[in-house]
Order: sequence, then C-alpha cells, then structure tokens
Amino acid sequence: MKRTIRIAALFAAIALPGPALADAIHATLYKNPQCGCCENYAAYLRQNGFDVEVKPSNDLAEISSKAGVPPEYEGCHTTFIEGYVVDGHVPIKAVEKLLKERPAIAGITLPGMPMGSPGMGDDPTMSFTVYAVTKDGAKPTVYSYE
Amino acid sequence: MTDPRFLISRRSVVLTGAGVAFALAAPWKTRADGVREIRVVAQPGRAPLVGGEPQTEVLGYDGKVPGPTLRLEQGQAVRIIVENKLDQDTTVHWHGVRVPNAMDGVPGLTQPPIKPGESFTYEFTPPDAGTFWYHPHDNSLQQLGRGLAGALIVESPDAYAADRDILWMIGDWRLKPDGQIAGGFGNMMEAGMSGRIGNAVTINGASPTVEPVQAGERIRLRLVNSALARIMALRIEGHHPVIVAIDGQPCDPHEPDGGRLLLGPAMRLDVVLDMVGEPGRRYRIVDDFYDDLAYRLVELAYGEKPMERAAPLGAIESLPPNPLPEPDLANAERHELALQGGMMSGMGGGMMGGGMMGGGMMGGGGMMDGMMGGMKGGMGGMGGMGGMGGATWSINGMSMTGDGQADMPPLLTLKRDRTYVLTLRNETAWWHPMHLHGHSFLVVSRNGTPNPRREWKDTVLVPPKQTVDIAFVADNPGNWMLHCHIIDHQMTGLMTVLRVA
Repeated sequence: MKRTIRIAALFAAIALPGPALADAIHATLYKNPQCGCCENYAAYLRQNGFDVEVKPSNDLAEISSKAGVPPEYEGCHTTFIEGYVVDGHVPIKAVEKLLKERPAIAGITLPGMPMGSPGMGDDPTMSFTVYAVTKDGAKPTVYSYE
Repeated sequence: MTDPRFLISRRSVVLTGAGVAFALAAPWKTRADGVREIRVVAQPGRAPLVGGEPQTEVLGYDGKVPGPTLRLEQGQAVRIIVENKLDQDTTVHWHGVRVPNAMDGVPGLTQPPIKPGESFTYEFTPPDAGTFWYHPHDNSLQQLGRGLAGALIVESPDAYAADRDILWMIGDWRLKPDGQIAGGFGNMMEAGMSGRIGNAVTINGASPTVEPVQAGERIRLRLVNSALARIMALRIEGHHPVIVAIDGQPCDPHEPDGGRLLLGPAMRLDVVLDMVGEPGRRYRIVDDFYDDLAYRLVELAYGEKPMERAAPLGAIESLPPNPLPEPDLANAERHELALQGGMMSGMGGGMMGGGMMGGGMMGGGGMMDGMMGGMKGGMGGMGGMGGMGGATWSINGMSMTGDGQADMPPLLTLKRDRTYVLTLRNETAWWHPMHLHGHSFLVVSRNGTPNPRREWKDTVLVPPKQTVDIAFVADNPGNWMLHCHIIDHQMTGLMTVLRVA
C-alpha cells in the first residue's frame, strides 16, 4: 500500500502543469510516516497550485502544539504556509482566504479527519467548520464555514 | 582460570560502552526459607538520558532508567518486594514470565494496586530461561513513558558459548528542548495513529555513540524494546546477526528476514553477533522502520587488536529449550479476534481511489473525553471517535480501556489444558504488537501461510490488514490480559481478557 501511495504522489507531482510550479506558494506538510490520507491532502494542495514538501515526522503532537493548535483541535497532519499553520484537511477556500486577508492569528485548523474533506473523500456536498488558532493558548474561534 | 574469555570480558567492562552502562544487578539475599529476595523501589529520580545537565527527571525502579537488571535462576523461587515511593498507584508486570495469575501485576484484575507508601511482594518461580523485562501496568502511559522499566534475565543452568553477554534496553523518549520529558500523554490523535513515538532513543538509558567491540569475538546481544510505541528495525552494517531466541524463548538459529531485526514495543531478541569486521573500523547500526525517518542508533567501534583465539569459532548453537507445553493443533479450539478502529480504518486498499467511506474516521471536536477506565461494548466496527469516552480501538467490537479493572468480563473462557488457536485479524491501518499474559504462544501462520519456523512469542507484531494465527495450551489458570503493547492503543480500547478456568 505504501508503494501505491508513493506512486500516486509521484503521479500527482508529474500531472501538475509546469507553469503552476513557477509561481507556486511553498507549503511544508508534516505527516505521520504511516498515515496515507495526508498524502492525498498534499496532492490536493498541489492540484491547487501549491508547491508541497512532505516531511514524515513522529513529532506531530509537539509540532501542532508549538504552532498553537490545542490537542482537541488537531488535524492528522500539520502544514505551514507563509508563516501560518494549516492543520488537518482544510478546504482550499479557507486557505486562500487566510493568505488573502492575512489576519493576526497563528493559523487555521480542521480538527480530526472528517469524512468527505479534501483528501478524505473530497465530497463537495459536505460542509466543515474551520477554526482559527492563536499562539496564546486561547480557545479557538470559528474562522469560516466551508 | 586462564580462560581468555574471562580476561576479555573483564577488560571490556572497563571500557565505556552502551552494553556496560548498567551491568550492576539488583542486590539480593537469600532468606531463611531458601527463597531469594530482591527489593525494588519505584520512585522519582534523574537520569542522563541525553547526557549533560540538567539530567532528565524520570520515574524509575530504584530511581534509575532503566531499573536494575534482575537476574533470576530458572526453576528457583524468587521473592521480589516492590515498594511504591511514587505519588500514585502502581503495579509490576513481569513481561513474558509465566507466573501464577496473582503475581501478574494487573491492577484490579490480578491484585489491588500498590498504593503510595505501600509494598507488594511478588513471589514466583520462573519456568523459562531467557530475556524478559518488567514494567508497571498502572497508568502505563505515564509510568512507562517516564522511565519505569527494567530487564529481567532468567539464567539457564547451562552456560552458552559466547565471549560476552550484552544487554541493550532500547528506550524511546519524547524530550523537550530542555531535556525534560514532554507532557501531552494521551493525545487522542496519536492514540488513533501510531501512538506516542519519541524523539530520543537510548540504549540502557543513555545516548551512546559507540559500542566498543573486538574483531573475532562472539557476542550474545539481548535486545529489549521498552518503548511506549516505537517499532524498530535494526540493520547492522557489515554483520550477520543470528537470532537464537525470540521473546526469551529459544528458536533455531537463523538470520532475520531481510537482514532487519524487527522489534515492536515489548518484544525481545537474543542475537549472536560474530565480530567479523576490521580492527579499527566502525560499523553503523541503523533503525529504518519508519519510512524516510532512518537514524543511526549506535556504531560498533572495533579496537585495533583482534581477539586472540585458540580455536576458530564453531557454528552458532541453539539455546537449551524451555519447558513449554506443546499445542495439540489437531484438536485445538479456534477463535478469531478482530482488531478494529483507529484512524483510516475504513480505507483499506481502495483509499487512493477517493471512495473511502467506512468506520473509524475521527469526528471533529469532542474527542478529548478523557481516559475513562472500564469497558465499552456494542460499538462494533468503531463508527467514529467523537463522544466515545476515549475508546478508539476495539477487539471484536468491544473496547476495554485503561490498564486493568476488577470488573472486566472475559471475551473468552478457555478450558484449562486445552489447545487454542487464536486468529488475530488486524482490520486497522496500523501495526499492533499483541501481548498475551501468562503464556507463551507459537506463531503457527501468517496470512494463512504456515510459519516455517517454530517461533514462540509472548508479543506478536501484526502488520496492518494482516492476520497472524497463534497457538497455545491454556495451562495457566486465571484472568489474563491480551492487549496491544503500543500503550496508547491499549489505553484506548485494544485490550481484552481471556479467562483460563
């Protein structure tokens, strides 16, 4: 199965049109080395024009916590984009809103691994609540409904 | 008296290396009734896990990490008095030793917990020689995760021909930048994935860079994985380790599959390592279990002079067998235990296709419901995690969480002295080292393919979506735990009880 994921990830990278890479925004995605759905999310970001670097790590809880995401709001992987944390399977619209508005927050999170979210089935009929997180340990607030 | 082996071993002990860091065994004495008595204290301490100051604050047996190595003699009764100087309840489980049920150390199920300031006397006669270990079975995530563990070596009356006998307790710690153990035990996301894997791996409680060796010597290396969750796969550059015992039980000497020594949490391997390298050179030992996260555990550092040996080394011999009851496979009763739950459990092979609906995905929010002990039934297939009282995993649809409870009803009641074959079917997307208390079992097949070897174990690693059949004679009466030894998984439901009556 691991090989399948690798091949799929490779395919996704190859499938990207060349020009998209040139002005792509860089994203670093930390994931559990044995979790497969995170690769799907990386492919989703690539499809949306991001240049994604995937880094396996066994330290995800620490990475999320340091980035300001409380344990009960953690997604299954952690991405850093232009100084913001994007935790879990956050829909691209919320990411784009974040990068456009550039609010004074640590970043955004979609807790858990909701079914139908990007990389988790990609069901366009599903809706998700994305939360804003800060570094001061305050309770996350609703950032957007996607 | 001039046996060169002894000269070598004494000289080696003077060197500082991984294998000699805790060569001291626990003090013991023989009481008037002829039973050896050992005293072990569970207490806070400090340990130089990564070297330097300040040392890491730990919980340890006698305040040390690892705790004292208990060296028992096969077939000789021993009394081990465990004193609790912690601020919380504890118990001790003698992992892999076939002890009477009342000595097994599961709180509630086999004994009342040892309260702070109190002691409990464990008394048993180890039937099997081999490499075992001891650890708490109460608040295990924190207690094992902060250092409470030690090796238990049962010596055979027959000597084994090796120049040196080295023990490596391999521990795994999540340390903060200041060298202290990080909090955050029981993170539910980790519990549903691969458990709390650390960022610092130690050998015998230290971070050695080298193990000094000598060309030409033959070493018996006892490997113990005492980590909460880290699975290890060790490669020894330029060497050919030969496995002679698995989980303490002798096997036909053989080289590991693919050259990797695979060690899940709680598993042990005794390997014989002939030092075939060149004097003055170094050889790396690498753990490459997790994809793209390989690291160097330690290096074998050869001295300049090869060992002088009167006669060349002979073939590697088998260890003497232990008195294990032979399963009667033809008349065995069979049961299947499905391991269920965790993240991505419904994905199966079709996960890349996007159609991955099914059980086991985590719901958002509300997943920190706390680690309620006890038992939760009727959630077959684990439809999700939110609001399930901390249960993430299940066995045949039932989740026992925590460390042990008085009221845990057995999943199966086994007839004493009958042979059982249990099919452990891992329906999850994660690896599970499954440990049965009170018995060693034969691994009879993997994915339906008969095991070419006679492989006795007490903890068997079941890969994702794979099946392992184990067989044993239920000869030890009592209520016995069967659980995953990735402690986060045990705490959140991957545990059950088998009753032998």
